[in-house]
Amino acid sequence: MNKLALVTTLGLTLVFAAGCANKAVVRYGDATAVETTDINFGSTDLQKVASQMTDSLLLSPVVGTLTQNTRPVMFVERLKNKTSEHIDTESITDSISTKLLRSGKFRFVDMGRVEAAREQLKFQHDGGMVDPNTASQFGRQIGAQYMLYGNLSSIVKSNQDKSDVYYKFTLRLMDLESGLVEWADETEIRKTKAKESVGW
Amino acid sequence: MFNSKNMASMGQNITGCLAVILVSVFITVGCANNKSPVTSGIGTSAMIQGDDFSKHLEVQNADLAKKLVISDVKSRKNNGLLQVNLTLTSRYEKSQKLQYHFNWFDEAGFVIEVGKTPWIPLELQGKQSTTLPGLAPNINVSTFNVYVRAIPEKAYKY
Repeated sequence: MNKLALVTTLGLTLVFAAGCANKAVVRYGDATAVETTDINFGSTDLQKVASQMTDSLLLSPVVGTLTQNTRPVMFVERLKNKTSEHIDTESITDSISTKLLRSGKFRFVDMGRVEAAREQLKFQHDGGMVDPNTASQFGRQIGAQYMLYGNLSSIVKSNQDKSDVYYKFTLRLMDLESGLVEWADETEIRKTKAKESVGW
Repeated sequence: MFNSKNMASMGQNITGCLAVILVSVFITVGCANNKSPVTSGIGTSAMIQGDDFSKHLEVQNADLAKKLVISDVKSRKNNGLLQVNLTLTSRYEKSQKLQYHFNWFDEAGFVIEVGKTPWIPLELQGKQSTTLPGLAPNINVSTFNVYVRAIPEKAYKY
């Protein structure tokens, strides 16, 4: 009888252990949900930085005056990544410029595609295949009035129980003609990772 | 008083009990991470600018509502965009890890910029009250709602 109970226990345990074993399951998640996989710069940080910076720019009184009757033309310079991590800063500026453009308050020129535009114009004028009456003209592009630029820096600290990372993101808007910085803002993120003594 | 039959049945009972305990322990340990977290929260129904927020409060998670209360929702137009301030007050002694989210709708009630407004993480300390900003993505927004839920503390398996 004792043996029977022991065997049953072992058997059941094995069945349950096998039932709870790791199985690879693929699922779609919410791309906008908060992600806390590790302490490195993640999607939530990118979304938070982009949305806070856009909101701050759109709410500032100076920008309210600038965008009252016109949609100023801007260009985005690359963000400088001064952190110790590899971060795709173009992705952050892409998010910010997309949000600003979609707000209907600003227009953008894209410096990253100048060569491609030049090639297309050359083809339209010199290729002999495009009706000259419909070809886009050289020298008619609109110049940017404002430049958006910034920095991303971090301070990382850790001891054996805890890691702490602090990100600071600074963004500035410069009037290209006068060189004046018309708007600037900073946003900060603090993330900590600590060992927990209890498992569940 | 103690005959051999009684002793044997006592032994069997103890073994049975042990077996049950062992199995329960293994189930608990083996499946500890398998519980899906509660992802409902508290929020408001669609509100227009200047609406009384108290008429729009919605509680989907009674446990969270005991710890957290939406104590104010203000809105105004700023630079042509609908600006919202959400005030959350903790009723709990310990800190809470939360995330909040705004949804934006146009005049006809159609959702605007769907899937592009991120959930923003927030740590609310014990009994703390904090005001959180939200800004409509464009000038067509006339109504909004807000939702707050907890961030699942433990990593879990599906």
